[in-house]
Parts: sequence; structure tokens; C-alpha cells
Amino acid sequence: MNKINKEKFTALSFFLSPMLLMVVLFYLIPLIMTVYISFTQMRNWNVERYLKDFVGLYNYERLFYMFQHDPTFKAVLLTTIVFVGITLIINVFGGLALALATFFISEKPASSFRLLWLLPRMSPIAVYSLVWYYFFHGSEIGTLNSILMKLGVISQPIPWGQTVPWGAWSIIIFVNGLVGVSFGMIVFTSALNQIPRELVIAARVDGASAWEISRKILIPLTKWHFLYVLTWQFLSLLTTYPHLFLLVQWDLVNRDYGTTLALYVFNTAFGRGEQDQGLAAAAAVILSIIGVIGGFVTLKVLQFEKMMKRPRGDF
Amino acid sequence: MKDVETRPSRYEWVIILAILFASLPLILGFSLLVLSSFSKEMVTNLDLKSFHFTLENWINVFQGKLATTGGIKTNILKVTFHTLVVALGVSGVVTFISALAGYSLSRIDFKGRKHMMILLLILHAFPGVALIVGVYLLYRLTFPQSPDLIRLYSFFYVILARAALEIPMSVWLMKGFFDTIPWEFEWSGIIDGASRIKVWWKIMLPLIKPGILAVALFAFLAGWQDIIYVRTFLIDQTLATFIEANIEAEYTHMPLIAAAGTLYLLPTIIFFLTAQQILLQGYSGGIKG
Repeated sequence: MNKINKEKFTALSFFLSPMLLMVVLFYLIPLIMTVYISFTQMRNWNVERYLKDFVGLYNYERLFYMFQHDPTFKAVLLTTIVFVGITLIINVFGGLALALATFFISEKPASSFRLLWLLPRMSPIAVYSLVWYYFFHGSEIGTLNSILMKLGVISQPIPWGQTVPWGAWSIIIFVNGLVGVSFGMIVFTSALNQIPRELVIAARVDGASAWEISRKILIPLTKWHFLYVLTWQFLSLLTTYPHLFLLVQWDLVNRDYGTTLALYVFNTAFGRGEQDQGLAAAAAVILSIIGVIGGFVTLKVLQFEKMMKRPRGDF
Repeated sequence: MKDVETRPSRYEWVIILAILFASLPLILGFSLLVLSSFSKEMVTNLDLKSFHFTLENWINVFQGKLATTGGIKTNILKVTFHTLVVALGVSGVVTFISALAGYSLSRIDFKGRKHMMILLLILHAFPGVALIVGVYLLYRLTFPQSPDLIRLYSFFYVILARAALEIPMSVWLMKGFFDTIPWEFEWSGIIDGASRIKVWWKIMLPLIKPGILAVALFAFLAGWQDIIYVRTFLIDQTLATFIEANIEAEYTHMPLIAAAGTLYLLPTIIFFLTAQQILLQGYSGGIKG
């Protein structure tokens, strides 16, 4: 027995230690460091000077003060709420719509469309941003402006991204929405493919339309996936920012109304001009707390634990 | 099998047209970028009069001539090489670590296994932005003194740090691939007295080659497309930071940036054409956004 235990231990440390090392090095230690920085006055990455400059809850008080009085920070929070809310709806329902639509057409165009909608997610972020930079550009070279001018809808080019708040919001929601839709699309597509064909065929024989089949059979049977996409996308939208970064950096969208809290953290820590890592870290800690609570709620709601069965092959 | 009974063919073209209409901005945006890379001026205003076919941009990209006049140069091959190093590095690290961890989570029953899997899910949901401040402090504290080493170290660090972001989901993906292999395969090996490590290497790895390929592909794309980590940690330029910097530079000839963007898009297009099945099936895994 003892020998087996020892063997198992050797094997386990061989298989798991690289992963654990990475988790400790790039999740655990950085997390502790972020919390620590949030209690210091760290700025401009002047580690020598500020690393031991402990200021207690000062950064959190500043955040609270900004929350009450700073119009820029208020704009960032409002943008975060609007952005997460609307993009979430677009991602979930857009994904569902695409999955259903491709469910009802022949396999060949269906998989071409699915592939096409993966393009935003697969293309390098810099190229993807470049595409929308030109599409929404505020002058005549912007594709959207030139289409509308050719159609005679507008006579002057409109600086979409600088029209606050809705112009800027529309762009960031549109750009990130396209990335998120593919996630919902793939999850819902695999869910739809698991539904027994007989149900659909029987309904079809009884004369049900595609719309009725979707509403009465397909959607109710994908409830779990719906919740999964909803909560998972909520967490992702709250915390990811790379797709917004360049749009703001290139002044395509207004700085205040194109910045979500996650991007605010990044720009405050690494952006141009005054870098204030203490403040950024404090905001990051608050985001993490929301993220971790959200993560646990997701696990509970979706009962992921039931998916984790004991391995069959072990003895 | 897609059977005729599940769908009426008379509505099919309506649905196809509807999706096509919804996809229009996507198709338009990407095609205009590629088209502009072969033109003397940007054709983003949909005016085909501004399209004059030329290969000049591509020649200039490879020669690194950024401005139409003046002598500003960048060695784009070197920049591409840097991007490739990061992408291959991330791909290698992620594949190796998740092939190891995925096996043990799939096949070995041990105390804390369930907790480890939950932890990985939570880590995947964990805000990357909360980490990057701490990850950068760790980077600063472990900086080597010698200036030559710093450049090398920045590659090493960016690869590991970026790979760490992909690991939670890749381990889950890899575990899923191991789960599909019937355990009789390794059982015979274990009964013959082989160790788990030997079984993993000799029997399991050859069986899950498709899984390894999928995980490696996704990790490659993740490293290839990254901008935040390379921008924050890497001292040398990659294609992402090259494009980032040149949009704002006034001397830049824009169709040349379109060509650089298209060059940057190439691996994606290649994977699009060659690995469609892997992409469609596996992409539900390691993704966010």
C-alpha cells in the first residue's frame, strides 16, 4: 500500500507540478502583489521609491471620492454598466439567433457562416481594430460615412466615436459584440445538435414552422446552455479590455465614454502620461472581488460539480 | 447526418440572405483592408476610383520602408519573427503543461482533484487585468541586470505570462480529449507493470494527437494575436505593437499598414482554410470576450 502511494505521489508531482508552478507564479503571487500595491502609493513604476511606501486604504478612499465627484470616473462606470449590459444581450441573443438560423439551413452554408463569425475572435486584435478603425472613421475615408453619404442620408461625415455618449458606446458595443457572438453561437450549436432529431421531425410532420419549433422545442431544451453563456459572458465582458484598448488609443472613440473599468485599470497602470499603479491596483482588487463572486455564483447556478465524475480508469 | 425533414427548403434562402446581410460589415471591413493593401490609396471609402492596383506596399513592407518619402525603416521580417517566437513559445508551453495536467485530471483519482478543477474554472473567469499589475511587479523585481539579458528575458517572461492565461482552459480541453480514450488502452499497460508516466508517454500521447494539435493551434493563435502582454512586457516590437504605433505616426503610408495588417492576418487565414473542423469544434473551449 505504501509503495503504491509513493508511486502515485511521484506520478502526480510529475504531471501536476508544471501547472501548479504556473498557477503560483502567474496567478497567486501576482494577486498578492496587486493587493499589496493597492496599499502603496506606487506610481510610474518607481519600485525603489514606492514599494515600501505603505498608505493604508488611501487608494480605496480616492476611488470612493472619484466615484462621488470625478465626472471622468463617473463616465467610466456608466460606460461599464451600459457596455456590459447591452453587449451581453447582443452576445447571448445574437449567438442564439445565429445558431438557430444555421440550424435551419443546409450544412454547407451553415458551416461557412459559423466559420465567418469566428473571424473576429481569431483575427489578431490589432488587425481587427484596424478594420473597425477604418469602418467607423469620422472622416470621408470611413466606410460607414461614405456609404451613408453615397446614399444621401447625410451630407457631412459624422465623427461617430466622438459623439458622446451613444456614438462611442455603439462602436465599442458593436466591435466587442461581434467577438462575443461566436461564443454563444458555438455553445448553442452544440446544444442544438444534442437534441434528438425525432422531436424536430415529429413537429415538422405535424406542420410546425421553424419559428414554432424554435420557440416550443429548441429554446426550452437549451436552458442550461443559455444560463452558461449568460453568466460566462457577463464575467468576460466585465473584465476583458484588449478589443477596446486600441479603439481608445487611436482616438476612434471618446476616451471617457469608450473606457470600461477593466480598460481604466490597464490605462491607469500602463497608459500614457501619469501612471498611478496604486489606484489601478485598488480598482483591480474591486474588479477581482466581483469576478470571483461571479465565478462562484456561476459554478453554483450551473452545478458544474455534477460534471466532475470520478475517473473510471483509476484503481 | 442532416436530414431533409428537419428543415423546409423554401425558407432557406431567406435565412441565408438574412445572415449574409448581418455579416455584411464583417465581410466588407476585412475585404477592404486586404484590398487596400494592394492599392495606392486606401479604398475604405468604397470608391473604386481610388483603387489602383500595385504591389508596392508589399514590397515596401518587406523592405521596411514606412514612409513614401523619407528614410524611416523598420525590419519587418524581424518584427514578424518576434511575433512568431512569442506565438510558438506560448503554444509549446501551453501544450506541454496541459498534456501533463490534463492526463492526471482525467485518469488519476486523488484527493483535491475536484477542487483543482474548480480552481481552474475560477482562474479562467478571473479578471486578467487584476493580475497584470502584479505580474508586471514580479517582472520588475526579477529583471536581470545585464542589458543583453533583458531583451532575452522579456521574451521568456512574456511567453510564460501569456501562456499562464491560456492554461486553465487548455487543461480542461486536454482533459476532455483524454476522457474520450477508453481506459482499456492504458489498463493493459499498467497491468504489465508500466508506470503512469510511461503509459502517458507511450500509449496516451500518440492516441490524443488530434487533441494536442487543437490545443497547440489555439495557444498559437492566442500568442500570435496578443497585444496587451507583448506591449507591456516585450522590449522588441511585434506586428501588433508595430501596427499600434504606426496608426498614430504621421509619416506612415496607410496602405502599407494595411499590407502589414494583412501579413499579420495570414496565419489566421491559413488556419481558416486548413483546420476548419478543429476551429469549429474546439473554439467553444478556451475563449473569452
